[in-house]
Amino acid sequence: MDHKALTLEMRTLREQVTGITDTALTAADGLLIAADTADTIDPEALAALAAAGLGLARRTAAATDRGTLRQTVTYGSHGCAATYAVGDTALMVVLGDEGMDVDRLHLAARPTLDRIESILTEKASEGV
Amino acid sequence: MSGIRDSRGRAGHDLLVRALATCGREEFTGGLRVSGRPGGTFHLRRGLVVAVESPGAPGPEALLLRSGRIGGEQWADLVRESGGTRWPLDGLIAHGYAGAAQLRIVCVLALHDAAFAVVAGDVDDCELAPDERPFAPVALGEPSVRLLQDAARKAAAIAALPYPVRPDRERPRPPAQVLDEAGLGLLQRELLGQVDGRRTARDLAFRTGRAVYTVTAEVARMLAEGLLECADTPVPIAVRLPPDAPVVRRREPEPAAPQFTAPTALPRRNPGASGITETLVPEKSGAGWKGFFRMRNGTPK
Repeated sequence: MDHKALTLEMRTLREQVTGITDTALTAADGLLIAADTADTIDPEALAALAAAGLGLARRTAAATDRGTLRQTVTYGSHGCAATYAVGDTALMVVLGDEGMDVDRLHLAARPTLDRIESILTEKASEGV
Repeated sequence: MSGIRDSRGRAGHDLLVRALATCGREEFTGGLRVSGRPGGTFHLRRGLVVAVESPGAPGPEALLLRSGRIGGEQWADLVRESGGTRWPLDGLIAHGYAGAAQLRIVCVLALHDAAFAVVAGDVDDCELAPDERPFAPVALGEPSVRLLQDAARKAAAIAALPYPVRPDRERPRPPAQVLDEAGLGLLQRELLGQVDGRRTARDLAFRTGRAVYTVTAEVARMLAEGLLECADTPVPIAVRLPPDAPVVRRREPEPAAPQFTAPTALPRRNPGASGITETLVPEKSGAGWKGFFRMRNGTPK
């Protein structure tokens, strides 16, 4: 796995979409892979919560016949948290303040997620 | 402004000036979407600008909520009361959170601040959106020429400072040496408490519930006075997994579910197959029900 490429993708997304405050990449079981978060946020807790939330949303989508889950977004009065699946066993959580354009985030996040998935699967596809 | 704006930036700015001038001449009503970074939407009524919304500047809602004038739960209650509107003006006044004049000022400040954010950023394109409606318009619209001149003047003022910054570029942090905060102003102390090497002036404006122009100017002054620093390299992101660890597998198509084949005939029931009849049959020894009745009626003579 190319650590440098991975962190560059996370940082570029934050630079690209105005209002992104933090990003974290985590395995589906809640194990933190990488965090670009402020000191006020516990990245381990964020990873666990995001993994649990996405798992629940995926099962809800399946149980209600809503098709493949795209993302979950939690809105608060001071911003929102969007969680995206990366392949089957990882996910990315993006935090933004109330100024962030969520539609723009979704558009910008898709190619980033595809590239992150490729980076994370590099070694696995080599037979490890 | 000219000091930090390249030719692409000037071209984008000229595009915005022309688009808004056309809207003014044609007395256009609707939205003018500005794509770029941060971009935004100018809302016009009969050619005058009545609201500007941009991800680059806190809107009226963020200014009220982040400044602590109203809490998140109270805001949610007001939105519910007002039938789901994004700007519960009547409720804010009726519950005494702010006066009508204060709210008018908040809307005017937010309009000018968002226009500054759009002008100080990069403009890629402008597109008319006739159906767009603002959620917190001002009663008296502004001519676009005056609005853009005001925004450009503010951007030029910041560019002329000894340490010019752009609202969404520099990410200052506290200085290495400990500062004596006694001589600092309220805004300076507030900003010192929020800077972390990750947040831009725009991010700090949202966190403190203040105008992005005010915060950008103050950040520029504090950088010039050594009250803040800008790191040459961003804070590194730690990756927790070893380089050779496989993390994800690609989504494989789910295997087809086993085909259900309906039986051609109904299943046949065999009497006694469940064994229930053996359980209920009285015991052959005679010590079953007969013995029970003997016990109830006394011993037979």
